[in-house]
Formats: sequence, C-alpha cells, structure tokens
Amino acid sequence: MKKTLLIALALLVWAPSLFANKLKVVTTYPYIASIASQIGGDRIKVDFLARGDYDPHTIIPKPSFIARLRKADLLIINGAQMEIGWLPPLLRQSANPAVNPGNPGFLDLSHSVKLIDVPKSVSREQGDIHPDGNPHYYLDPYNIPPIARSILAKLSALDSHNAAYYRSRHDEFARIWGAKSAEWERKFASLKGKRVIEYHKNFDYILRRHGIILAGTIEPLPGIPPTSKHIEKLEGTIAAGRISLILQDVYNADDAARHLSKKFGIPMVKLPHDVGAVPPAEGIISLFDEIVRRLGQ
Amino acid sequence: MKKLLCIIFMITLLAAPALRGENGDTPESGEEGAGSPFNQSKFVPDISLILDASYVYRNTRDGEYEKLHTPAITLVPAEEERHGHEEPFLRNGFNFNYAEITFYSIVDPYLELFAVCHLAEEHFGLEEAYFTTRSLPFGFQLRAGKFLSGFGRLNEQHAHYWDFADQTLVHNAFFGEEGLGEVGARLTWVAPTDFYLMLGGEALQGCNTRSFGNEKILHVDGSTVEDGSNGPNLGVGYMKMSFDIGELTVLAGASGAFGKARINHGLDRAGKSGTAFTGSTYILGGDITLKYQLDSLRFISLQAEYLYRSMEGDMFRNDALDAMTRTEAQKRQSGLYAQLVGKFSRRWRCGARYDLLQMNRVEESGVEAELPENMPRYSGMLEYNPTEFSRFRVQYNFDASRYGTETGAYEKKTNHEVIVQANLAIGAHGAHSF
Repeated sequence: MKKTLLIALALLVWAPSLFANKLKVVTTYPYIASIASQIGGDRIKVDFLARGDYDPHTIIPKPSFIARLRKADLLIINGAQMEIGWLPPLLRQSANPAVNPGNPGFLDLSHSVKLIDVPKSVSREQGDIHPDGNPHYYLDPYNIPPIARSILAKLSALDSHNAAYYRSRHDEFARIWGAKSAEWERKFASLKGKRVIEYHKNFDYILRRHGIILAGTIEPLPGIPPTSKHIEKLEGTIAAGRISLILQDVYNADDAARHLSKKFGIPMVKLPHDVGAVPPAEGIISLFDEIVRRLGQ
Repeated sequence: MKKLLCIIFMITLLAAPALRGENGDTPESGEEGAGSPFNQSKFVPDISLILDASYVYRNTRDGEYEKLHTPAITLVPAEEERHGHEEPFLRNGFNFNYAEITFYSIVDPYLELFAVCHLAEEHFGLEEAYFTTRSLPFGFQLRAGKFLSGFGRLNEQHAHYWDFADQTLVHNAFFGEEGLGEVGARLTWVAPTDFYLMLGGEALQGCNTRSFGNEKILHVDGSTVEDGSNGPNLGVGYMKMSFDIGELTVLAGASGAFGKARINHGLDRAGKSGTAFTGSTYILGGDITLKYQLDSLRFISLQAEYLYRSMEGDMFRNDALDAMTRTEAQKRQSGLYAQLVGKFSRRWRCGARYDLLQMNRVEESGVEAELPENMPRYSGMLEYNPTEFSRFRVQYNFDASRYGTETGAYEKKTNHEVIVQANLAIGAHGAHSF
C-alpha cells in the first residue's frame, strides 16, 4: 500500500516534467496571452487567468488559478495596480517563488509604457483610484509595440535557445502591427475633436492619442456606480455641448448609458476592453479591429 | 503595498520643503527628512485598520441572556464565572465589537511577515503574527508563529471576511470565540496538478481551552491531576482541492485535529465546586463550497461545513468540601452550518444560513446524560457595500440553541436577534483569497 502511494506521489511530481520542454507562461488577462502567443508561437504554452468579458479590477480569485500559477515558468501581469484586488493572495498561495515580483519569471508590463493621469495625491475619497496612473494603457495601439518588446526580451532571457525564433516572430508581429496601426489611425482621424462620454476611464489612452475629448464619465468616481444626482449633472453637460458618442464597457450595467442615449439621441457604443470581451475580439489584432469598427458605425 | 508607499512618498515629498523651511539647512534636521540618505520611510509595511461595530436588538434581556448556554457544549455560566472569563456576547444596543490593525510586509527575499492585532475597548490581543517562507522549492511553504489553523474553511478567515455577523455555532462550540488560533508551525504543499490540490500539516501548542489545553491541572491540595504538556500538544492535517466546471467553482476539504485535552474549570479553587477534564480529543471536519459566477459582478455561493468532535478521558469534580471524584467520561458531538450567499449587483448581497449543533452525547462511567440534541439557529442577512472598503449589514437570527437551567431541567429559550453591523477598512489592506 505504502509502495503504491509512494509511486503514485512520485508520478504526480514527475509527470509534469515530461512536458517541460515548453516554457509555461501564465498571464493575468487574455490580451497579454494573445501578444505572448504572437511572439512565443508553438514554443511556449500560454494560459490566462481572468475572463476578457469580466471587470478586470474585480476578478474572483479562484483556487484553480493557484494551480496554474504553481506550474508557471513566467507570469506576465498588466500591473499599475489593476490586479491588486485579486492576484496577490493567489500568488502567495501558489508557493512558486519563480514567478514572484523581483524574480526572472515575473514581468510587469506597466513598466514598459508611460502611464497617464498619475494622481498628485491619493485618497479613497476619490473612489477606487489607481496611484500609479490609469492602468488601461494597453487600449492604445501605440502602446502594444513596447509591450511586445518587453515580452520578447523576457522570453529570450528565460529561453535563450529559442531567442532567434522569438525575435523573428516578434519582428513579423511588429510589422503587421505597424501596418494595422496606420489603418486604424486613418479611421480615427474622422473622430478627432469629437466629444464623448465614457462609463469608466477605460479608453482614455486611445481617446487622448486621437484628440477625442472626454466630456464626462457615467460613474461619478472610479468604481462607484452612477447616482441619479450625477446623471442629472451629466445630462447638463450633454445638453450644453455636442456629444457624439457614449462609450460603454461590456461588464458594467448599461442602463444609465441607454437612458442618456435614448434621451438625447446619441448612439451608445459597447466597446470591448480586452480580448474575449465580445466574440469578434478573439486576438489582440481583432480586438482593435473591433474597437475601430464599432466606433466607426 | 504600492498604494501605501505612494502615500508615504507623497507625504514625505510634501513635508520635505516645509521641514527645510522650519529648520534651515542644518544637517541634523535633514537626517530625519525625506532627503536623508538614511531615510527608511519607503520600507513602512502595509498597515490597515478595520473597525467593526453593531447595534443589536434581542428579545431577551442581557442579564437573562447571559445565563443561557448550550448544554455540555458551552459551559453553564456559573462555571465560567468561577473560571474568571465570561464569554463575550453582543449586548442589546450599541456594541463596539473590535478594531483590527494588520501589518504585512516582505521581510527579505526569503520570508514575509503578517500580524493582526485585535483591539477591544479594554484589551489588546495578538490574533495572528507569523512568518511564511517565500522561496521554498517544489510548492512547499513553511509558516511559524501564531496563526489561525487551516482546519476547514471558515476557521482561517478573519471575522471581517465572514458572510454573517457572528461565528457559526459549531466553531464557537469546539474552538471558542477566537477560533483555532495557535502558536506553532505549518507546512503546506501545493501539488503540481491541473486542478488545485493542497496538503497541510500543523504542529501546534494546543492551548485552545474548548477542546484541547496544555496547562498543568492541580487539585486544591496542590497535587497534580494532570501535568502540563512539554511541547506541541495538537496536530492538525488537511487536504483541500478545487476545480472549475465552466463558471462553477468547487472547493472541498477534509481536516483533522488530534490532541490532548486539559480543560480546567476551577478544580483548584478551595471551598468551591469545580471541574476538569483530561484525555484525548479529535475533531474531524469536511467542507464544501460551490460558487457559481453569473457574470462579472454577480455570483451565488453555497458553503457548508460539518465538524465532529470526540473527547475521551477522565472527568474530575471538586465539591464545596474539596472532595474530588474522578469518573471516566466520553463526549461525542457534532455540528454543521450551510449558507447560501448571493451577490446580485455591485453593491448588494444577501444570504441565508442554517446552523446546527447536532449530536450531543456525553457518557460518564458508562451512563449517558440526558442532553438536548439538534439545536438550530436560522439566519438571514442583507448587505450593502458602498465600496470594497465599507460594508453595512442587517442580520436576523432565530436562535434555538440556547437553554436555561433555572428550574433545574434544561429549558429551551428561543432568541430573536436583529444585528445592524458596520465594517470599515482603511489603509493598505491586502486582497482576500477565495
């Protein structure tokens, strides 16, 4: 009995190492997994934790995530405190030092871009505020290349045998991305100077890049659901200035956006914020294709 | 961590010019300021404060309620009084339940430290203070210090994370108000499997006064009834596993606690009656949680836990004339809870809980005592969470688990309770696990 148990235990520990030839990458969000697999191809095994159609700030920390982190060689996170509400206990319980901050198997992508709206002072009076700046930086096509470069550097460092492979895949991705960005840029040009309302400050990077003006948000403060008083104020803003679009995410209740859209005859556009948020956004390229398509409608 | 560091950094940045302005440019004053080469303010750990207060309405007057107990499980009030500690309970009217200060930081590349201080109006207690390794290989983690045991599901969770305002009957019965929190060490192992599998073992001092105990027991005449333990007195082992089926998360666990019991209720007090129990105790537990996520913000969760306790040994009794008797005694008790909680919007949650003290068999010298069994409590709650840092809860309890003994026999006294609770957190408080 004891012998069988020991053999079973040995198998349990040893079996996963049979498949150890591929670098196991775990990412917090699907968009990171998509970029990583663009670069890593079939030489890495990529897995993401959070669903793309859920609120990225409030992910339920399922124990199955611990099992995935336990076996990871590399963990790539969005950073800028987007995962602060759910990832730290999972990482602690996974007992995998390799993927902890400070170790080579950990990559925080927020360090590869410049964050906007870094608050001068922070207080929770201001709602669910991000002290490091707006964490939705990846929703800007121009921030994807530096993210891809960080991932390339990390994969090449951890798995130097495949560095040339990663480099060639990265260069190919960068080339496609460059062409795509130019295409998206042309479509965005028609939106320049337009005024929009947004539910949460999800799309500020893209708006700012293309000179689209954010006239207000449906939530009064980050993470706080809309109040009737705030909506009243917003109605004043809408009545005063010409608003072209109301941008709504897929996970928050859209009744306030619908109400405003109906009342003022302004189109409400549901924008995907991550890969998997809506069915056509199945990869990092189609995510932006879909954002641009929905904005152009 | 980052949030707090940022705040401190901002404060120091803002304060630095002011300091220089007041004190001039003398190097002495600069030494304490932000510009100092020896400034350590960036190393301040995550600190948070949690406050819990409630307003209670109960149909029983406080004085009467105090005398109620659960036969053979919680003690008769007279015995507690003699033992010098009274079980605290929610009083009618306003209650300041506790404030909790937590500290967390990484110690060095190898260890991290976590501490929780429990502050009541008149006392300070260290609820937890332990270090955990962060660099052991193969999925192992070692923890040592004072910590809440990983036994079952609810025991390890702090009160502010519970879905109801009060502790479950069975946890209160077997582990007491503070749960199974012990000084000791724990080794856990997370298996490299596709589903979550964790095994844990703990060696603890075992001073829990409800089921274990490690202090020497003396009789009035100074003779030793039972020696104190000379080392860890309690061993706990558990296995937890979890997997997902679509949006349904299943978490199940099995736990066991095995130790020696040394429970003393004033056996050594001259001229007064007292009791003590020595022997061996084991507690077995099984738990299951099913959480179904409806969408990004909404979920429904069913959580249940069953505990069984067996105590075998000797019962010592001291009467008013200081004559001591010793009888063989056996206790077999069990209890469970099952709770259904739903989160229906970003801010609202509601839930129902069924609490039961089930089996209650006590035998002394082969004679079974006549004791009530199947003592239930039903609870319902509604919660409003303005943000993740504040929570307001209304809870109703229909409590049929308490008995009075005024007439000499056990007399059930049903209590209706309404608890309005506020729970707030400030500072850098870490995220909770599943």
